Amino acid sequence: MAEQFKEPVVDRVYTLNLGPQHPSTHGVLRVLLDLDGEFIVKADPVIGYGHRGHEKMGENRTYKQFLPNASRMDYLSGLLYNHGFVLAVEKLAGIEVPERARYIRTVCAELNRISSHLLWFGTYVMDLGGFTPFLYAFDDRENILDILDRVSGSRLTYSYCRFGGVCNDVDAQFVDMTRAFVKRLRSRFPDYDNLVTKNVIFIHRTRGVGVITAEQAREFGVTGPNLRACGIPYDMRRIEPYEIYDRFDFEVPIGSNGDALDRYHVRLQEMEQSCRIIEQALDKMPGGPFWNEAAAFKVRPPKGEIYFGFESARGQTGYYLVSDGSQCPYRCHIRVPSYGNLHVLTEVLRGTMVADAISILGSIDVVIPEIDR
Amino acid sequence: MATRDVMAEKLRSVLGDNAVCVDDKYGAGVFVAATAPAARLLEVLGLFKETGFYLETMTALDFQDTQEIVYHLNCYEPLSRMSVRVLVEHGAAAPTASGVFTAANWLEREVREFHGIQFDGHPDPRNLLLPEDADYHPLKKDFGKVHAYRTREEIYG
Repeated sequence: MAEQFKEPVVDRVYTLNLGPQHPSTHGVLRVLLDLDGEFIVKADPVIGYGHRGHEKMGENRTYKQFLPNASRMDYLSGLLYNHGFVLAVEKLAGIEVPERARYIRTVCAELNRISSHLLWFGTYVMDLGGFTPFLYAFDDRENILDILDRVSGSRLTYSYCRFGGVCNDVDAQFVDMTRAFVKRLRSRFPDYDNLVTKNVIFIHRTRGVGVITAEQAREFGVTGPNLRACGIPYDMRRIEPYEIYDRFDFEVPIGSNGDALDRYHVRLQEMEQSCRIIEQALDKMPGGPFWNEAAAFKVRPPKGEIYFGFESARGQTGYYLVSDGSQCPYRCHIRVPSYGNLHVLTEVLRGTMVADAISILGSIDVVIPEIDR
Repeated sequence: MATRDVMAEKLRSVLGDNAVCVDDKYGAGVFVAATAPAARLLEVLGLFKETGFYLETMTALDFQDTQEIVYHLNCYEPLSRMSVRVLVEHGAAAPTASGVFTAANWLEREVREFHGIQFDGHPDPRNLLLPEDADYHPLKKDFGKVHAYRTREEIYG
């Protein structure tokens, strides 16, 4: 018996099909891995299983009719996409927005960013074999969903922002709930650190794993926390301040090595920065109208085009809208951050082991339906 | 001198003053809008690469009389997004930028399947999002329901 194991059983590159049903592929990603033993020679992501034709839909319906589509591209940060689309159209059509609405939107957008990061935190650690932190993260995330449910009526795919404002005003209870949530989340960070950040198994699975260099990031158009983990403080909220982000005092956390551990740290610190923005926005929130409602029902931008970039939870999202002066956009293109973030994996995965591939895939935080559109 | 001003200067010297439009007010979201002939596209994108820009996104527009590819490029300093536009006749091919920016590899695959524009010398011309046997181009204006099919003049004239 022993004789036959002296020679390698497989002495050629073979192909392993990871996904689309694998629990670590978050959505419907399939990666064709060419393997030499346990090492990856070539990784070829196969995407498009969730293609719904959002860009085509954008072109054959009015701006207002497209609004519910926006939050369904990246369903984990739906309000951010909704917010960005509204901002793009407002800039294109020159719609005035009341001050109060701008503050309400900012608070809700940052809440959604935290909920997206919390979900990533939970599922990433679960990919690596830790189940308990997942329950902690979902417990905290539930508070955000309750808060946003109260004002917007939905828990995942929000159409809360409307052209010229938001569709519901917030009340004192919303403010109280949000403040209580921020306080509670801050008290949970030490728990997260004790459970995960200081966990030696976690550190071994992430430190030095999946390094993205700054040069690779530029080559592939990587943005968001994945880019900031390489040490580049590139955040659209700072670089091209939109809405009212230039009025708040917050930092842009960066890493140094660009490995999975740095990406983890950047996202955890970003949640704290979002909490700071929320607190400042609640303190400064003025009274007055919350919706310039007259503007919302006759959106007909003049001829022209706009590229509007904003920071969603995964990086820079951009809406490229071309108007022919009618009530439907002539072209509606959406730049999604996960596109570059996934593309870079074809290079990063080369030479790593299959077990590390799971860790790297999780640390990149891709949402595949966002790429498929 | 900021990177974006260096780049605007380079574009002017390569493409001429008429093809480069600088907008300090950032009205359409871009600082510089440039128009390049297809033959000089790679040279222009190469300049962006060496100046420190990254390829943000690219897409195509379908008009009755022509098709147009739009590249958006950006660098890591404030307000520096630039766009480069290239006109491509219906049925004609464009040069591939995947040798300049690797990001263009997937973006061109997407433009190819959705708009039917071929890219000369593309290393991997498979479908990206559509099924591998799809022989239709969904974002062309003669596919499915559209509200208008216009000439380029009607929109930019």
